[in-house]
Amino acid sequence: MSGRTLGPETEDLEDLFENAPCGYASALPNGRISKVNHTLSTWLGYASGDLVGRRFLDLLTIAGKVYYETHFAPLLRIKGFFHEVALDLLKADGTVLPVLVNAVVRKDGDGSARFIRITVFNASERRRYERQLRDLNQALEARVAERTRALHRAWRLSPDLLVVADTEGCLRSVNAAWAGLLGREAPDLIGRSVFDFTHPEDVAATKAAFAGIVTAPLVTPHEFRLRHADGSYRRFSWTGAFEDGEVYATGRHTTAEHEQAAALARAEEALRQSQKLEAVGQLTGGVAHDFNNLLTIIRSSVDFLRRPDLPEERRRRYMDAVSDTVDRAAKLTGQLLAFARRQALNPEAFDVGERLRSVGEMLDTVTGARIRVVAEIPDAPCRVRADVSQFETALVNMAVNARDAMDGQGVLTLRLERAGTLPPIRGHAAAPGPFASVSLTDTGGGIAPEQIDRIFEPFFTTKEIGKGTGLGLSQVFGFAKQSGGDVAVESEVGRGTTFRLYLPMLQGGAGEEPVPECKDEGFPTGDGQRVLVVEDNIEVGRFATQILEDFGYRTTWSANAEDALETLGDDGAGFDVVFSDVMMPGMGGIALARILRSRMPGLPVLLASGYSHVLAQDGAGGFEVLHKPYSADQLGRILGRMAPRRS
Amino acid sequence: MVFAHGFGCDQNMWRFVAPAFEDRYRTVLFDHIGAGGSDPAAFDAVRYAVLDGYADDVVAICRAVSVTGGVFVGHSVSAMIGILAYKKAPELFESLILICPSPRYLDDTDYVGGFSAAQVEELLDFLDDNQIGWSQAMAPAIMAHADRPELGEELTDSFCRMDPAIAKRFARTTFLSDNRADLADVQARCLVIQCAEDILAPAEVGAYMHRHLPNSTLAILDTTGHCPNLSAPKETIAAIEAFL
Repeated sequence: MSGRTLGPETEDLEDLFENAPCGYASALPNGRISKVNHTLSTWLGYASGDLVGRRFLDLLTIAGKVYYETHFAPLLRIKGFFHEVALDLLKADGTVLPVLVNAVVRKDGDGSARFIRITVFNASERRRYERQLRDLNQALEARVAERTRALHRAWRLSPDLLVVADTEGCLRSVNAAWAGLLGREAPDLIGRSVFDFTHPEDVAATKAAFAGIVTAPLVTPHEFRLRHADGSYRRFSWTGAFEDGEVYATGRHTTAEHEQAAALARAEEALRQSQKLEAVGQLTGGVAHDFNNLLTIIRSSVDFLRRPDLPEERRRRYMDAVSDTVDRAAKLTGQLLAFARRQALNPEAFDVGERLRSVGEMLDTVTGARIRVVAEIPDAPCRVRADVSQFETALVNMAVNARDAMDGQGVLTLRLERAGTLPPIRGHAAAPGPFASVSLTDTGGGIAPEQIDRIFEPFFTTKEIGKGTGLGLSQVFGFAKQSGGDVAVESEVGRGTTFRLYLPMLQGGAGEEPVPECKDEGFPTGDGQRVLVVEDNIEVGRFATQILEDFGYRTTWSANAEDALETLGDDGAGFDVVFSDVMMPGMGGIALARILRSRMPGLPVLLASGYSHVLAQDGAGGFEVLHKPYSADQLGRILGRMAPRRS
Repeated sequence: MVFAHGFGCDQNMWRFVAPAFEDRYRTVLFDHIGAGGSDPAAFDAVRYAVLDGYADDVVAICRAVSVTGGVFVGHSVSAMIGILAYKKAPELFESLILICPSPRYLDDTDYVGGFSAAQVEELLDFLDDNQIGWSQAMAPAIMAHADRPELGEELTDSFCRMDPAIAKRFARTTFLSDNRADLADVQARCLVIQCAEDILAPAEVGAYMHRHLPNSTLAILDTTGHCPNLSAPKETIAAIEAFL
């Protein structure tokens, strides 16, 4: 070349070949370099002549050699070219030059390879950003993997049931909690419907609860039962959301909560009952005392009545005294029984004033003779909704507290007022009313300021051992709070204490109206109707048959329900009415009444009861009940209504 | 006649050789796991961590198509795979054609494999870093919207397709293998085809193979590189025919 003079075009092409911004090399079919441009030689740190005759392969790193021989040389042979292969070229100084290599086989007329044209691009920059891109990608993947691991860990370790399902409830993915809580492994669950394991009674409600999840997440937990692999059911409280075509839901195991709640309810019930028994215990002493007084009146009246020479006027007075005293005694025992009976917490609407009047006498028995009870109860009705039995218990507890505070002597003022608002009490904000305010004010020693915060704590008592359990005022507090009210206490040492029980008043005419008393229905005489008297007590039985005979009935007396059934036979044996005691050995009066109602629906049954826990729990089952002690007059009127005169 | 391709390519590498035998032989061509049309999902890292896994595949393929007393033609690492397959099921092959074989790539005391320990280490490092493999894997993504989208396609859908992840493991298995002890009791007739200038399997390795295979012939082809079946197909065919 050097001996010739080059034309401008050739010179230009020569310059382009030598100094283009990419490397050019030609190699013979055996891979040895035959020509290389200035750019490539310079990049690699060689003089152009140094490279001619060397194998292109020799410019590669060991990995490049292996890959060239195993990947790119075959490609070149099969296709005749390869493009943009990333390789590292070894420079003269031992460092490497990252390059992209294109190669094409140039062939002669009969198809044999003449030479290989190799084009080399400096890829230093490109390789650098490729590496950055790759590092970035790896860092990103690592972060995603870390996040995924964290999420997976949360999924795996969650104590709650986690699930991905379709909108039909078909399970797509479940976490390990399913195995722990329901004994079911993922393979047994995936692809099956959650309703396969749902309690049949809960299916409809659960479908309804999840029906709207596509449009709005289920935020309010929906609870339903799932069947454990052992066949038992567990309760779970579910929330969930719909996203990307799938339902994601979380189920919190609540069986234990329910058991705890039930245990708590039982404990509360037991506490209520013991609080009530505490009050009954307090009452019993007073009632016994009053009862003895009443019995004394009866006893002495009877003694007088035995005198043969008693004037008629005196006789009637004693008879009236006996009758009145029996009424009072009956009322007293009735109240005590009503008070003591076990019953579920049952809020109902009632008039506070009316209730206060009716238990006022009972409070008298609690406080004893030396304490004067002054009641200030307005006539206007003041209705609240609360549990009546708890209300009465609270009154007794407050009265007992007042009695003890007064050491058995003083004045107890019972007052009913309407309060526009509930004042702030013990840090609680005021609440809008109106409230019924029932206050009991005593003239006792008052409560020491350091104790006033503790008096409502259960088992807190200042009384001697055996005198009080410390449950009384805690019952008052619990009742007030449960009923939406509160209890306030004001006390001045040496002057006295006022407990004020606030209960939210019912507005307007809400609640039941008082039922008007039935009118009397004429004079109680019989007309020879046949009455079967069932009574195990000989005295009462004899007395009852005597009264009924006097009223004009014909009576037959059976000593128990079984005998009565035999007497009645299959057709009632001509009896017009059955009058039966409730508490008897054997099946008892209520069972008898039920049998008769099914066998002989036309035969009326009248039950007589002093107190029966069966009646208290289940009610009278729709039968007429005459409460003992009854008067002859009451018996006559009821029978007159139940067994009409034949004429 | 069963043709087994080596590392880096697929059954396309036999395109200039296999047709020459179709008139006399039933030819069987296949792709190793990870190559050509094989299912990458069938790859099992434990099974294919040693060449035995690949040899088991050869035996299974031959049994599936009822090869007995056949000719095995294996290139590069598949030459050794063929020897292992023969030892598992000698009834399959009467003759083994071993093109550019190497029982061990790493030099050892009194053994020239062609690769120093440092070189193998560099190669393994490269496999972990895998600049070339990465470029190939990323090629379609990088060039998808470039002016010449066919380039991306060429690098991935070329005649020598190989799953990059499996290729990496295949390379590791290949370059760490040492099957020298398997040569001694091979009773089949063996033809060792050695290229004059091959950096992967130097002349010393071909000589070693010939020396240690009891019933072998050595044919040295005057061609460079590691793939005489592509660079010198006529000579390769001639050597095989002469042997058979």
